[in-house]
Amino acid sequence: MTGTPRPDILDETVEVWFGPQHVSAHGWAAKLTLVGDYIVECDPHAGYFHRSAEKCLEFRTFRQGSLILERLCMLEAFLAEYPYVAAVEQIAGLEVPERARVMRTIMMEASRIHSLQFWWGQFAAELGLFTMLLWPWVDREFFLDAFEELTGSRHAVSYNTPGGVKYDFTEKSVRLLERAIERLEEHLPKFRDMVLRSPTFKMRTQGVGQFTAEQGIKWGLSGPNIKACGIPMDLRKDDPDPNLAYDMVDWEVPVTESMEHPGESDAYDRMVQRFKEIETSVDIIRQLLPQVPEGPIVDPKARAKANRLPEGEAYGRVEGTRGITTLWLKTTEKAQTPYRAKIRGPCFASYYALKHLVPGSRFADFIVMFGSLDPYPGWWDR
Amino acid sequence: MSDQTPLAAMTLAREIVNSLPDVESRPLGENKVELVVPRDHLREVVAHIDATLEDAFPESAFGVDLGDGEFEVVYVFWSQVHRLLCQLRVRLKEPDLVVDSVCDIFPGLEWHERETHEMFGIDFRGHPDLRPLLLPDELVGKYPLRKSFKTDRSRVAESGLAQPRPRRQAQRGTPTGETAGAGDRQAGGETQ
Repeated sequence: MTGTPRPDILDETVEVWFGPQHVSAHGWAAKLTLVGDYIVECDPHAGYFHRSAEKCLEFRTFRQGSLILERLCMLEAFLAEYPYVAAVEQIAGLEVPERARVMRTIMMEASRIHSLQFWWGQFAAELGLFTMLLWPWVDREFFLDAFEELTGSRHAVSYNTPGGVKYDFTEKSVRLLERAIERLEEHLPKFRDMVLRSPTFKMRTQGVGQFTAEQGIKWGLSGPNIKACGIPMDLRKDDPDPNLAYDMVDWEVPVTESMEHPGESDAYDRMVQRFKEIETSVDIIRQLLPQVPEGPIVDPKARAKANRLPEGEAYGRVEGTRGITTLWLKTTEKAQTPYRAKIRGPCFASYYALKHLVPGSRFADFIVMFGSLDPYPGWWDR
Repeated sequence: MSDQTPLAAMTLAREIVNSLPDVESRPLGENKVELVVPRDHLREVVAHIDATLEDAFPESAFGVDLGDGEFEVVYVFWSQVHRLLCQLRVRLKEPDLVVDSVCDIFPGLEWHERETHEMFGIDFRGHPDLRPLLLPDELVGKYPLRKSFKTDRSRVAESGLAQPRPRRQAQRGTPTGETAGAGDRQAGGETQ
């Protein structure tokens, strides 16, 4: 009797769609090819959240454009709108007053903390730690209160404007911001220990989604994902923007260097790294708050100068919560709207990286890998 | 990685221009340089950047519609070790909108090229996967980021949505009866 032919393992593949109806897949879907419990192919699909932001920008004036940008990622609205504002300022030749420079930096760092708190709760929930979903989100409300007091809006803040900022600090808005930071500082060590020292959390994240810094950079990853590999890649230090006040602060780029796998990062390292990012941002705000100088908050010629821009090209860049966020702007002579605006969202690369990162891992680890890169659909769909 | 002296952007540009005289370079600012690369030399220049900058970061790649059938593809590379930004610019002219794909050298550019393909109709030779990335099926092949793609009311009929009321009628707002309103609407439609 001849033996039955050995089954080819790839004949037994199953295709599973992760999303768009899955609760963790808010606006994205990935097609996974499984053999048993292992993923052999991952095909991330984009476009569920596409709002043609780049085309819309071509029909909005230079002072309206930042409103579209901040809607791409509401979690880091102060940071998301900045590349556009920076590019317009470069072409228009606007000078940002000292007070606006410092206030911008403070609010951008507050926005970073807020976005990281959101991610931290969401990532914990994706791993099944639902308590950790709500606790950081309660603290996050205090930041939203401060944003609301300052700008009148909790998410769509539209704070930065070419030549300065739109709303001045008041005694109450500063007090609310300080209250939010105090509450965060009080809770952060406790929450961090609860997550990072939890044996369940360690088992779920350590060794999952591991890549080297070289691989990550080739895939286009930036920000905390690369800093977790021990590379201090941070635009705040590397390409400092003259209109932001990081030069007034004494700070170091936080990095995480793992003892077990130097030069590489796994999901656990990226979690550690993001807690360090929060601490750095708190430190920067604490140093800047007493240094806010008196003076105007916007260049008095900003309205006139940003109305019609000369012909030019500019490249606005900012270190967002999730990595390098840029906007490339081209204008024609005396135009009221951009000729071309290209948004580079950091998560465009981190979502793409799943294609290389996921194959070979278990199905249950997929969401851990996805969550640990901190992707936000607005940044890749735009 | 960081024990060597940082490379100046102009040094990188000079190296490339010396080996490929067709490439033009111009400074963009502090340690930032732009290279205008003929289409046939793109892969050589990108390979040189990959070999010279050990941590070359594929920041962005995108198209620009210059009008009159002319297009540009712009690539941006950043090196954190050298604090260096290098922007490449490739000019293309219709009907020959083809450029070599570089996503085998920098996998991070794979989706950028895919997006440029669906938005501008620029073909990337050797790209493994040029399926549409962001667009719905109705817009595939219409290249929405080209300047010839109109987003005004001239496309409303195509969408199958109800025709919007002309604005001047809405402003007048005279309750003088249905027939006058209908006549206005028709006239408004013809003038557009």
